[in-house]
Amino acid sequence: MTALERHRRLQAIWASEPGWRGRFSTVNHSDLGRMFLLAAFFFFAVGGLLAMLIRAQLATPHSAFVGPEVYSQLFTMHGTVMMFLFAIPAIEGVAIYLLPKMLGTRDLAFPRLTAYGFWCYVFGGAMLLVSMLLGIAPDGGWFMYPPLTGPLFSTGINTDFWLLGITFVEISAISAAVEITVSVLRYRAPGMSLDRMPIFAWYMLVTVLMILTGFPPLILGSILLEAERAFGLPFFQAELGGDSLLWQHLFWLFGHPEVYIIFLPAAGVVSTVLPVMARTTLLGYGWVVASVVALAFLSFGLWVHHMFATGIPHMGLAFFSAASTLVAVPTGVQVFAWIGTLWKGRPQLRLPMLHILGFFVTFVIGGLTGVMVAIVPFDWQAHDTAFVTAHLHYVLFGGFVFPILAGLYYWLPHVTGRQRFFRIGEVAFALVFVGFHGTFLAMHWAGLLGQRRRIWTYDADAGWTTINLISSIGSFVLAFGLAMVLLDLVLHVAAARRSPRNPWRAGTLEWATTTPPAAYNFASLPLVTRRDPLTGDAALPVRLAQGRGYLGEPRHDRRETLTVEPSRGTPDYIVVYPGNTYLPIVLAAVTGLFFLAVLLKLYWLVPVALAGVAALGLRWVWSLGRRGDVGPEDVGLGLSLPHACEVDRAPGWWGSLFLLVADAVFFGSLVFGYAFLFTIAPGWPPPAWLEPSLAELLAGVAGALLAPAGMRLAIRANRRGAAPWPGLALAGAGTVTILLALVALLLRIPPPAAHAYNATLLVLGSYAVVHALLPALMLAFLAARVACGFVSPRRRAELPIAGLWVDYMALITVVTLLLTQLPGGAA
Amino acid sequence: MTDLLRIVVGPLAWLGAFSAVYGLHGIACAFGWAEPGVWGIPLLRLMLAMAWLGAVAIGSLLLVALHAPRLRSPSRFVRRLSQATAWVGLVAMLWTLFPVVATSTCR
Repeated sequence: MTALERHRRLQAIWASEPGWRGRFSTVNHSDLGRMFLLAAFFFFAVGGLLAMLIRAQLATPHSAFVGPEVYSQLFTMHGTVMMFLFAIPAIEGVAIYLLPKMLGTRDLAFPRLTAYGFWCYVFGGAMLLVSMLLGIAPDGGWFMYPPLTGPLFSTGINTDFWLLGITFVEISAISAAVEITVSVLRYRAPGMSLDRMPIFAWYMLVTVLMILTGFPPLILGSILLEAERAFGLPFFQAELGGDSLLWQHLFWLFGHPEVYIIFLPAAGVVSTVLPVMARTTLLGYGWVVASVVALAFLSFGLWVHHMFATGIPHMGLAFFSAASTLVAVPTGVQVFAWIGTLWKGRPQLRLPMLHILGFFVTFVIGGLTGVMVAIVPFDWQAHDTAFVTAHLHYVLFGGFVFPILAGLYYWLPHVTGRQRFFRIGEVAFALVFVGFHGTFLAMHWAGLLGQRRRIWTYDADAGWTTINLISSIGSFVLAFGLAMVLLDLVLHVAAARRSPRNPWRAGTLEWATTTPPAAYNFASLPLVTRRDPLTGDAALPVRLAQGRGYLGEPRHDRRETLTVEPSRGTPDYIVVYPGNTYLPIVLAAVTGLFFLAVLLKLYWLVPVALAGVAALGLRWVWSLGRRGDVGPEDVGLGLSLPHACEVDRAPGWWGSLFLLVADAVFFGSLVFGYAFLFTIAPGWPPPAWLEPSLAELLAGVAGALLAPAGMRLAIRANRRGAAPWPGLALAGAGTVTILLALVALLLRIPPPAAHAYNATLLVLGSYAVVHALLPALMLAFLAARVACGFVSPRRRAELPIAGLWVDYMALITVVTLLLTQLPGGAA
Repeated sequence: MTDLLRIVVGPLAWLGAFSAVYGLHGIACAFGWAEPGVWGIPLLRLMLAMAWLGAVAIGSLLLVALHAPRLRSPSRFVRRLSQATAWVGLVAMLWTLFPVVATSTCR
């Protein structure tokens, strides 16, 4: 087979549907990565427009441009759009487009999940935009502190749009995080051990693990606040045993890692692009990886530094102040590694490099002011002033936008297959750089002179007039610069000349694909023997196109790829991907219906939407697997491998594992909230503790022992060739016992609106019930699969997946029953 | 996966210790354990100092374990990476928890 014939056959198998309909049914990572980026930059433009309106208002004292109500919506939506609808999705877009190519594989682990995440993001973002167009946008600031956003002080629907819209969008972030974690760990080219992974993959792996552990506290906080607003459950109302500080803890448990979730991928772009611009390799690869891991962990110990002014005891302040200063060390290690890379290489001042230099200057200034606000006495002076606004823009614009623009110009030839012709980008960079510093450097002084953040107007004699005018002029220069970047991109796509395959002479595998890339990325998968596979092996792309790698022969019209063992990168098994489908967009729409029903208080629609989600979810997984054994198949280069349905740890098992990590963090955050209210909140102890019930406890524990034991029995029986039915029946009986115990608990809970204790019991019990219903559904599904011949001693992958969820249910049940019953017993 | 666990175990131990000490501090202050106890030293400070020393001991043990031939990774890269991150965990334990002996407790 010639390279061209191979290309045509693979293209027929892997291509998305032609025309505009293909955008809705595509599950291809290149398509979805581009769609994520387009949507993210659309929201960037919206957020930028809002910023210009803010600066127009503040340009002069007593401006009559907008009133306080509209102004509150402007700054809230600016922060919300930039953080949730631009920064995170842009990262996801870059990673979704690039990672499979960099890792030498054909797609991400769960292509339909990529598409589902994209549509959740678009629909959730659209909800927020609609609220803005209707003039009922969120107006409580992007961190939504109650009691301002509680039912007493925010009576409209504005805050609900934020709580529900953002939670909807976060489904997208969690989906992408699960997807990317499994992809980086398992979907790599054979031979790509951990030490041969591209540095960007390390950054993304760490980032998505942070998303899995950082986002659940915010999702929990949003659910609790929405429950308070919709049903009067008083989690944040001090007079009923709640505490508004609980929101701050939950929000910043997410919010501070979020800063690093945004920064790290951008730093990954710098670590990838900078060595190519300097015509060398990254200095201290291992040290950079260690510093990224360190940064990720330390960032979870900083959240209280946003709460220094809330009256926390000195010792608590000192813990977080110390942690906040420490985080500068791994950041510094990376900065010195980049400087060292420049030193040992021969840097070229091309456009991506200009943006990297802009990043250096801006981010280092932002980092230094970060150390300033990490020191408690200084923070008390600068807290909630424009100084903090300036600092966060230096960190986020410097640490994210400049690197993303560097990456944009670096990978543009890959996306379009063209090279730049017009030289508008250099002028645009100058305007962006000057405009940014003009806007935000000045803002530091306004803050030090006492200008509070989020004020809608000020007096002429406050002494801030000139600074604000400079800042506003700077912001418009910045906007012109960004508009010129857009113009440059449009001209590039429309009129630039063809680019060679690897214009920068980079060493990473994404440049081994055609540009723009084919739907299947690689005609055959490479055997990786070094960190920069293209360096010193310019013929590699041709060999891959000729099918001289793994899986070089298209067969059975199937979309095939390989997985590897996570550490050593040895080939593990074959994965067959699903084809194009409308299922993700339909599922996202029905998920949206659930959020819309809650938003509009159409509660009768909620169970309908949930039933729709469950039905579509079952349809989703039913299409996987096979009804007959296959056995190991040839993958080329003399190697045979089994299929994913014939192993113990299939992709679905890995995906479930990491989803459960996020789920466990959610539950942990709920337990933290309970402990916080118990010990700190006023109005405790509650009027009455829940009476402990030995029957519920015993039934719950019995179910928690029975269900996992049943699953293990089923797995072992199936492996032996015996029927798994007795084990499944035992697991089912255990699950039903658990459900009965939990329902009995829920029925005894005192009125949840009367006290935060009661409300917390209700949420804990409901969480456990949901996590018993899910395994119940899975067990019923599994029984149907066994009955229909999808499971055999060889095709055993589905049983351990359900086993994971059953184990988690057992754990949650016991912990929930203890937490709900022990305080009453002790009292 | 074992290699990944080796890489994260040091900082994870710090995160656990940091959360536990902060939680203990919150609970102890809420229940009024800051009153002077043994030799005029508040019980709370003694408990926190013990927890700090315990955390440092665990961090040190992890570091030793990641150097031990039986437990360290067969991959040279992972071995060095996991030892570096274990040092991060230990230094973070020393630095971020030192306030237990240096500042006022519940004020």
